[in-house]
Amino acid sequence: MDFNDPMLALSSWIGQIGDFGLDLVWRFIHIVVTLWHIVSGIFESVESYAISLGLIQKYSSIDIEKLKCLAVVVDIEAARDVSKVIELLQWLTTIGVKQVGLFDSQGLLKKSKDMILEMVPRSVLLQETGEKHISPDRIALEFISSSDNKEAVVKAANILLEKYLKSIHPENGVGENVFTESHLNEALRVVGESVHVPDLLLVYGPVRSHLGFPAWRLRYTEIVHMGSLKYMRYGSLLKAIHKFTGVRQNYGV
Amino acid sequence: MLSLLSIFFTCLALILIPCLFIFRRPSVPLFLKKAIIFIKTATSQYNDEEESGTIEGKEKRGRMPKHVAIILDGNRRWANKRGLRVSEGHEAGARRLLEHVMDCFAIGINTISLFAFSTENWGRPDGEVNFLMAMFEKNFKSEMAYYDRYKVKISVIGRRTNMPESLLGLIQEVEEATKSYKEKHLIMAIDYSGRFDILQACKRLAEKTKNGLIQVEDLDERMIDKELMTSCSEYPNPDLLIRTSGEQRISNFFLWQSAYTELYFPNVLWPDFGEAEYLKALTWYQQRQRRFGLRV
Repeated sequence: MDFNDPMLALSSWIGQIGDFGLDLVWRFIHIVVTLWHIVSGIFESVESYAISLGLIQKYSSIDIEKLKCLAVVVDIEAARDVSKVIELLQWLTTIGVKQVGLFDSQGLLKKSKDMILEMVPRSVLLQETGEKHISPDRIALEFISSSDNKEAVVKAANILLEKYLKSIHPENGVGENVFTESHLNEALRVVGESVHVPDLLLVYGPVRSHLGFPAWRLRYTEIVHMGSLKYMRYGSLLKAIHKFTGVRQNYGV
Repeated sequence: MLSLLSIFFTCLALILIPCLFIFRRPSVPLFLKKAIIFIKTATSQYNDEEESGTIEGKEKRGRMPKHVAIILDGNRRWANKRGLRVSEGHEAGARRLLEHVMDCFAIGINTISLFAFSTENWGRPDGEVNFLMAMFEKNFKSEMAYYDRYKVKISVIGRRTNMPESLLGLIQEVEEATKSYKEKHLIMAIDYSGRFDILQACKRLAEKTKNGLIQVEDLDERMIDKELMTSCSEYPNPDLLIRTSGEQRISNFFLWQSAYTELYFPNVLWPDFGEAEYLKALTWYQQRQRRFGLRV
């Protein structure tokens, strides 16, 4: 009994030191990874300024025709600063982007729609012009929020459900197969949603997720995290768009 | 004594950790691989036992994703880079998968979803598709005892209409044999399409409505959530989605489920995704501040 007590205390003490040491090692791993990201962040900043100044030749001409539809996801905190969103849209107009979908989960940008349309030169609302009738000198804007995601699919599903129930044959109890992609696309249009799939999605904010952008539209969209909207850089934007134009998708085949 | 020990561990980490990032395929000795897993498990326990510190800090330090989804991209490019056949690339990818699944469960991840074969992949050459189906069969046969021994629940999600009968039979067998296990869940997405998942959920709800089980007016997001193929999991929405090979898209995988999923796109090809890459992905995830669309 007397011998066991010191042994127990010793093993507990060794265990605690071991745990402490292991915790240090894990924290050190975090430090190494953080440093890695800081260093690459510095390189990216320097490159971005060089691109903005036109010092890197390959970014001076971009095949913008490949980018038919661009979507921008903005974190809620960033969406409150509408001036930065307007500045971003002005940059996109300069680059030659024709169609931009602006998303924030709470719909703050939707509320500032009129101001944004007024401040961004040659901008029009996509809903008014339609995707096929955008003038070459215009930029069509679409304002999207979380209500256009799952809520919209639920509304569209309701339409399909009712269509299915109406189509059930009384003899065999079998209804029409209305649960296809084209049917859901049509139902989404009926509830006022666009089904156009963006080619590129730029995410501005601290999170690296698409924050609830309409799921139905995200199938083959390139997703690029751009960092904070407050510290956005024209060079980084050009680089992301240029990189997208070089992507070759095989669509799973 | 304490400071000496901490100096010793720091020096050890200084020497060993950079090696994990420098070598493309570190030949990490088995004891070190197990040590890395032990480090993480021990650290999580240490954080759980801590009496002081804010809940936020504790969460950030010890937080592991409950559900990790992986798009296993890059097998063909890996094979092409080495002058090998495409089938050898897929075999290397399958070996990598089996090597790391248990390691992931050991560090506290409850659910792992693997995008093994998409609906669009049926468009690949017949030879490649047939090889992949045969490979899935072979792996299910050879690994069934392994999953049973380690109490890993296996679920296969996807269409199943075009799969060979022999593979279907094996899938049913392995799902039945492992259905009672709860702590570790491996979801294989074979012939899976995110859009089809949403559509089949709507169709199932339509059948329930036809049979009087629900009313049309009651249809909402949560009902669709319950009918998706991922409803077989305790954690249907992935916390972290990894797509290897540098491609930055989710390619019709978990469209509905990934609204607030952290997306991680490393450049490494799937057969080269080793322990160092796992460590990077998990430490990256732990540094994220998840908001789920809300203000902080």
